[in-house]
Amino acid sequence: MSGRRGPARLGRGALGALALLWLALPLLPVVVWAFSDRWAFPAVAPQDWGIGGWGAAADAGLPQALLRSLGLGLAVAAVATPLGLMAGRSLGWRLTRWPRLVVAMLLLPLLLPPVAVSMGLDVVLIRLGLPELLAVVLLLVVVAVPYCAYTSAAAYARTPPALEEQARALGASARQARLRVVLPAMRGSIVVAALLAFLVGWSDYVVTLLVGGGRLVTGPVLLGSAAAGSGNDAAVAVTALATVTPPVLLVLLVLGLGRTRRSTATPVGEAS
Amino acid sequence: MTSRMRGSGAAPGIVTITLVAGTGMVAVVTTSLGLMPLYGEPVLSTDGWRAAAPDLALGIRESLLIAVPATLLSAVVGLLLAGLVLGGGGASRPVRVACLVVLAVPHVVGATAVGQLLSDGGLGARLAGSDGSWPPMVGGPWPAATVLELAWKESAFVALLVVAAVGPGHRQRMEVAAGLGARPWQRATRVLVPTALPAVGAASLVTLVYALGSYEVAALLGRAAPEPLPVLAFRLFGSIELTDRPAAAAAAVTGSVLALVAASPALAALPRLRLLAGDPRGHA
Amino acid sequence: MTPRPRTVAAAALAVGALLITSCAAPEPGGTMAAERPWDEVVEDAQGQTVDLWMYGGDERGNAYVDDVLAPAVAALGVTLRRVPVADTREAVQRVLAERAGGEQDGSVDLVWVNGDNFATGQEAAAWLCGWSDDLPAMAGVDPADPLVAEDFGVPVEGCEAPWHKAQFTLVYDAARVPDPPTTVNGLLDWAEDNPGRFTYPAPPDFTGSAFVRQALYAVSGDREVPAAFDDGALDELAPPLWERLRKLAPSLWREGRTYPRDQVALDRLYADGQVDLTMTYGPATLTGLVDDGTFPATTRVLVPEDGTIGNASFLAVPAGSPDQAGAMVVVDLALSPEQQAAKADPATWGQFTVLDTDRLDPADARLFEQLPGSDIVPAYDVLARDARPELSSDWVSPLDEGWRREVLGRR
Repeated sequence: MSGRRGPARLGRGALGALALLWLALPLLPVVVWAFSDRWAFPAVAPQDWGIGGWGAAADAGLPQALLRSLGLGLAVAAVATPLGLMAGRSLGWRLTRWPRLVVAMLLLPLLLPPVAVSMGLDVVLIRLGLPELLAVVLLLVVVAVPYCAYTSAAAYARTPPALEEQARALGASARQARLRVVLPAMRGSIVVAALLAFLVGWSDYVVTLLVGGGRLVTGPVLLGSAAAGSGNDAAVAVTALATVTPPVLLVLLVLGLGRTRRSTATPVGEAS
Repeated sequence: MTSRMRGSGAAPGIVTITLVAGTGMVAVVTTSLGLMPLYGEPVLSTDGWRAAAPDLALGIRESLLIAVPATLLSAVVGLLLAGLVLGGGGASRPVRVACLVVLAVPHVVGATAVGQLLSDGGLGARLAGSDGSWPPMVGGPWPAATVLELAWKESAFVALLVVAAVGPGHRQRMEVAAGLGARPWQRATRVLVPTALPAVGAASLVTLVYALGSYEVAALLGRAAPEPLPVLAFRLFGSIELTDRPAAAAAAVTGSVLALVAASPALAALPRLRLLAGDPRGHA
Repeated sequence: MTPRPRTVAAAALAVGALLITSCAAPEPGGTMAAERPWDEVVEDAQGQTVDLWMYGGDERGNAYVDDVLAPAVAALGVTLRRVPVADTREAVQRVLAERAGGEQDGSVDLVWVNGDNFATGQEAAAWLCGWSDDLPAMAGVDPADPLVAEDFGVPVEGCEAPWHKAQFTLVYDAARVPDPPTTVNGLLDWAEDNPGRFTYPAPPDFTGSAFVRQALYAVSGDREVPAAFDDGALDELAPPLWERLRKLAPSLWREGRTYPRDQVALDRLYADGQVDLTMTYGPATLTGLVDDGTFPATTRVLVPEDGTIGNASFLAVPAGSPDQAGAMVVVDLALSPEQQAAKADPATWGQFTVLDTDRLDPADARLFEQLPGSDIVPAYDVLARDARPELSSDWVSPLDEGWRREVLGRR
């Protein structure tokens, strides 16, 4: 048995290494560029290492852009998560008479190209004079709600409605039953849903650029214009690194939280 | 369930989506018909469509040229990655963590990173030697870099979705199959792949639709012409020529129709989507 | 609970109402500035904040406006705020959108503009007119100068004030090109003899578009290219141009299968040594680029015998600006000899002046003579020798589109 397993394990190890290479390789040049002062073609390694790119990126407004990204992500998460939860509840617990309609409507923001919807809204909103930030948040919330809804629908499906009924039977009001009994049982899924909404808000490029009218400079917007035209590869790499680190850290954090909770999980209502 | 458990339900979310997406789409269609010009009087006309027509055909072709290979590649690689994660062993957790990291990367960062890897002045070209033998992947005649970036990011998505769908009960299924005498290869192809296929299908559909509508990756990594529909729409929208705005809207409408057509198999399969309608007997 | 049909219908009606109000037509007609004595304008301008929307990708331009012009303007009682945009088109779209909405309190007070952008604003009657000729500093500008009287073929008519002059410049590395061509046609021939060592940015990039117009002049040879757009002229002169560029394509970098997306990309190719020439409308930046080592030290400017295209760029005030007096004060200061000389210094920004030194006081004229020269960039009068005027902005779109279809699309 072990003789057959040996080469198989080697094979799987090689595949694993290949998989990690596939997943990690694109990010490698960014990391190298972010810490090089001069890396002229065709050298394989930078001629001068340094952190000049960080100063250039800071001059271009990177810290402020990241703060705006943070604000946008939090705003989208704050609005989209409750809306998604409510929609997920009616799907997961089959409270709706037209589940297909709800599912179809929730699919719509994922289907329509963001360029199209942003373009249409931009034309309308400029005439109405709605502030850009509000319009961007609104559109990103619409994009994020389906993710929150599907995540929480799956979680609600795993949580027996009897939980809420029992709480009501014990004298709790409808709101108390929902807030203090059901939702805490789905904590993990709520965190995941909020995380997804935050990622939508943080990572967005087209909507922020089009509807924001070029005035709302978030991390991705700054990166997009830097990558398209600045000529300073080090500053671009720094901007990219700064834009990618918070979401990655957040995802790893939630993953870590999810893992510890799973080890102490109770059968009811655990999600990942 | 019981009539006592109503509550506001899906209404606020659905109404918001209808209002916002509905207004946007109707506005885009009316703009394409010349009713919301950059300046001057609105005049109902098909000038925008006629001006955009030659570019629309090229745009559809380019959009499909990017989206279809990206979807296929991400499905295959994603399935392989899922197999590694599900298979246990040392590679399982690192690959899973790497997939989560890649999932968290914004597409604009991914496009920048792939650009710095695959462009003519990028790391790949330097490693290959500066004799000009590096193929033009960024901005070249084939959208190679665009396809690779999309495939890279979406393969992580496919992998994680498959793991979530197939994971519960995977070990039992594998043990049963092994008990019935299946070899590792047979277990993979006859048990894992068929079980994972619905999840791969769903993830691929999302990937396809996303790739059709994606702007930033093609804008950063693609060539100047021909452009996929979202890039064309965006460029024309930024122009100050009077006829370009309706043309931009026409390109946007075409892109939306293309996405809806591509998604129609899934929409037709809605009655069977128990997963989303909360059926506990489903794959959740 | 899912929304009832009635709620959906109400939402649909709301959507409809939203759209109908958005379809409202903007008011037609331009806006003429009231005739006022200059002292009144200066008094009105006190305490105003002027938002200058300008291309933000030029660090030295940003530094000039922030560190030289703004303090000088502040001394007059006006605050100048620079609003960077990635492309002047964004500023024009903003102006047009606010005009369409009937906005009286616009967010744009001053725009650095020329060509297409100015022409579109004129069509939409979005610019304030009849003010620039009354500025005291305009006395230093020669009214007969064609570069200043017409902006890409569109008569200025007091709707904008000149700010810089620019000259389309071809740049080469003397170490790699020992025998540079002497005419633009010669350049195209040189590119064919040296395959893979030349390319140009793809229109509609500003520089690439200018190169196509430059090539139009060269290919048309003795046949005159009318500055005003004419369909007949397009049908007669464009096909030979496309044929020449198509014939050139296989000898270009990457065999013409792909072109650099914009001037920045071309500059990078030049800096990396992948091509031997680059081009720019702003040769002032060259000195700095060579000094900091981005460009090779053997970089030189090609001055073709048949002359290159020159243009002027302007400052325009939107009709919906709430700080019109302040904007006029800023423009007047920007046109003053001191500011024009400071701006023309290659160490500051290096933008050529629009003033005619013959019309200035001897003391002011000396400011320009004292400007430091550069080893790399010849003086403006050398660069602008035999300069060709820019074509009308109506030419820009058909040429850009034609290039995409005929040269890029067909190989």
